[in-house]
Amino acid sequence: MLLEWMMNGHAILYTGVTLAFWSTILIVGICYTIFDLGFRFDVAWFLTETSPFMWANLGIGLAISLSVVGAAWGIYITGSSIIGGGVKAPRIKTKNLVSIIFCEAVAIYGIIMAIVISNMAENFSGTTPETIGAQNYQAGYSMFGAGLTVGFSNLFCGICVGIVGSGAALADAQNASLFVKILIVEIFGSAIGLFGVIVAILQTSKVKMGN
Amino acid sequence: MAESRNFSKGSIMAFIFFFAAFLASGSSTAQVPLLMWSTKSLPSLTSPPAGHITSMEELAAYLSPVFGSGSNTVLLFLQDKLSKDDFTMFGGAFGNKQESAFRNLEAALQSSSSSVSFPALEWTGESAIPTLLQQKLSASPLLVDPDTLSHLSLNTSTSNLLIINLPYCSDSLKSCKEVLSNNDETIGKVLSSLKAKDVSYTAAYTGLQPSQVISKSSSLNQQVGRTLLQAPPADVKAPIIFSNATGRPCIMLWAQNLTISHPGSQGFIDLAKENASVDGSMCNNTNSDNFLFFSCRFAMSQRFYPVSARNWFTLDSVQVLVRPSGQTASFVGRHGIYAPAEYSFHCQSVSSFRDTLLVPANQNATQWKLDFVDFQIQGFRLANGTNFSYASDCAGFFTAGIWMGLVTSLLLLLIFVYGLHMIMQLNTMDRFDDPKGPTISVPQSD
Repeated sequence: MLLEWMMNGHAILYTGVTLAFWSTILIVGICYTIFDLGFRFDVAWFLTETSPFMWANLGIGLAISLSVVGAAWGIYITGSSIIGGGVKAPRIKTKNLVSIIFCEAVAIYGIIMAIVISNMAENFSGTTPETIGAQNYQAGYSMFGAGLTVGFSNLFCGICVGIVGSGAALADAQNASLFVKILIVEIFGSAIGLFGVIVAILQTSKVKMGN
Repeated sequence: MAESRNFSKGSIMAFIFFFAAFLASGSSTAQVPLLMWSTKSLPSLTSPPAGHITSMEELAAYLSPVFGSGSNTVLLFLQDKLSKDDFTMFGGAFGNKQESAFRNLEAALQSSSSSVSFPALEWTGESAIPTLLQQKLSASPLLVDPDTLSHLSLNTSTSNLLIINLPYCSDSLKSCKEVLSNNDETIGKVLSSLKAKDVSYTAAYTGLQPSQVISKSSSLNQQVGRTLLQAPPADVKAPIIFSNATGRPCIMLWAQNLTISHPGSQGFIDLAKENASVDGSMCNNTNSDNFLFFSCRFAMSQRFYPVSARNWFTLDSVQVLVRPSGQTASFVGRHGIYAPAEYSFHCQSVSSFRDTLLVPANQNATQWKLDFVDFQIQGFRLANGTNFSYASDCAGFFTAGIWMGLVTSLLLLLIFVYGLHMIMQLNTMDRFDDPKGPTISVPQSD
C-alpha cells in the first residue's frame, strides 16, 4: 500500500521537496555549528530587522485569504451535496441555501477584519530598531496575530459548516423533518468563526502605529 | 651494450646542451647581417647554426687573420638600416629573381674570389662595425661616394678604409624597393670603378642599425605561467596596535579610511593624514579604550550574556575631541557594533549618517559626521600578536530584505502548492458507475 501511495506523482514530488528543504536546513545548521558561527543564527535580529509593515500586511492578507478558503471549502462541500440531493428531491433546494449563507458569513467576517486591520497601518519614519520604537513593533506583530487568528478560525469554521450543511442537505432529502434539528448544529459551528473575530478585535485594540 | 648506452646518454646530453645553448642564444634582440667578399681569398667560415647570433668578439676573431698582415683596402657599404628580412622581401627570394633589388650585389658575391656572410651579427651600437674595422686596419675611415671614388687615387701601401653611406627608405617618398635598387646601382658603380683601378679590395655590406628589431626573448627567461591582468596590490598599512603594560598587544584597529567632517566645512578630514598615537589607551578584561590620533576615542566593553551563554564585546562609544574648544562629540555604537569577544568586528562602512552604526549621543555629535571605510577593530583576546582574530562581519549572508522576501514568497508558494494539490486530486465519483446497468431517470416534475 505504501508502494501504491508512492506511485502517486504528487507524493514523490512532495517527498522530494521536503527532503531537499530539510537536508538544506540540516547541512547549513551543521556547518554553522562546526565553524562556531552559531551566534549568527539570531532570531532577535530577524524580528527587529524585518519591517513591521511586512508582519502587518501578512496579517491582513492571511485574514481575508484564509477566511475565503474556509468559506469556499464549505460552500463547495455543501453545494455539491445540495445539487446532488436536489436531483432526486428538488424541494431541498431553497431551504438548504441557509447552509450556504452560513458559510458565506465566514468570508464576510474575514473581509471586515481585513479592512479593520488595514486601517490601523500608518506610516512611521524610523529605520533602525531604536528609532522605529516598541510601539510600532507591537503594532506589526499584533496585526499579524490578529490576521492569523481570524483567518484560521474562519477557515475551520467554514469547513465545519460546510460538512454539516452537506449532511443536512442529504438528510433533508431523505426526511424533511430532520433539517431544523441539524440547523442547530450548524449554528454552533458558525459561532466559532465569530469567536475568532472577537479575539482579533481584542488583539488589535491597542494597536497604535506611527511616530 | 654498455657502449651504446653510454653513447646514447652522451648524445642526449649533447642534445640538451645544444638545445640550451640554442635557447640561450635566442635571447638577444638586435642583429644586422654582414656580407663580405674579396678579391683575395678569405678564410672559410663554418656556417653557423640557424638563429645563431655572431658576437662582435667572434667577428673580431675572424677578422684578425684577414687584416693581420699587409695593407688592405676595405670598402664598407654602410646602409642606414639593414636586416635579413630586407633580403627576403626585396631580394627576389620567392622565385622572382628578375625583380630582385640586389642584382649587382649578388653578381659581386658570385664573381668574387671568396665571400663570407654573417647572417646575424650582434648589434651593439651604430659605430660598432666601422670602429672594429678601423681598429683592425689601424686606418682612419674615409667617406666616399661613387663620383669621388673614380677621382680618388688609392695608396695601396697602407690600409684604407672607405665608407660609402647608403640611405634606407625611412621617408615614404620613395618605395623601399626603389631605394634599395638605387643602392644596388651605387654598389655596382663603385665596384666597377674599383675594378677599373685594379685594386685588390675587400668589400663589406652591412647596416648601421637593424631595420627591424624582432625581440626574441627565450622562453627560459620569460615568466612561466599566466599572470592575472590586475593591478599590483597597493601597499597595505599595518593596523594600529596598542600593547598593554606587559607588551602584549591588546587592542587592534584597522581602517582603509577614517574621515570626519566637522560642522561648517564641506569636505571630510582624513584622519590618516594626522599622526597616529595611541597614548592614553588602556585595556583590561572588561574595558578597552583606544585613544587614537589624539582626537578620536574608541571605547569598548565586554560582558557575559546569559541567553547566548558567551561573552560579547561592543563598541560602546566613539568620542571625537574637538581640538580648540575641548568639547567632545560622542557617538553610540553599542547597538550596531558588536561581536563575540574572541572575534574581531569588521564592517565595510561604519558611519553616522548613512546606514548608521554610530548614533549621535549628544548635541555636539549631531553636527559631526563620521565615516569609516573598511573598518576592523578588536579589543579583547587578541590571540596572535599581530593578527586579527576571525572577523565577524556586520553584513550577514542574507539581508533583512532578503529574509522578508523569502518569508512572504515561501508562504505564498506553500499556499499555492496546497491549493494545487487539492485541485489535482479531484476525481469524478465513479463508485456507483455501472456501465451495464440502467441509466438513472430524472423526473421532469418537481
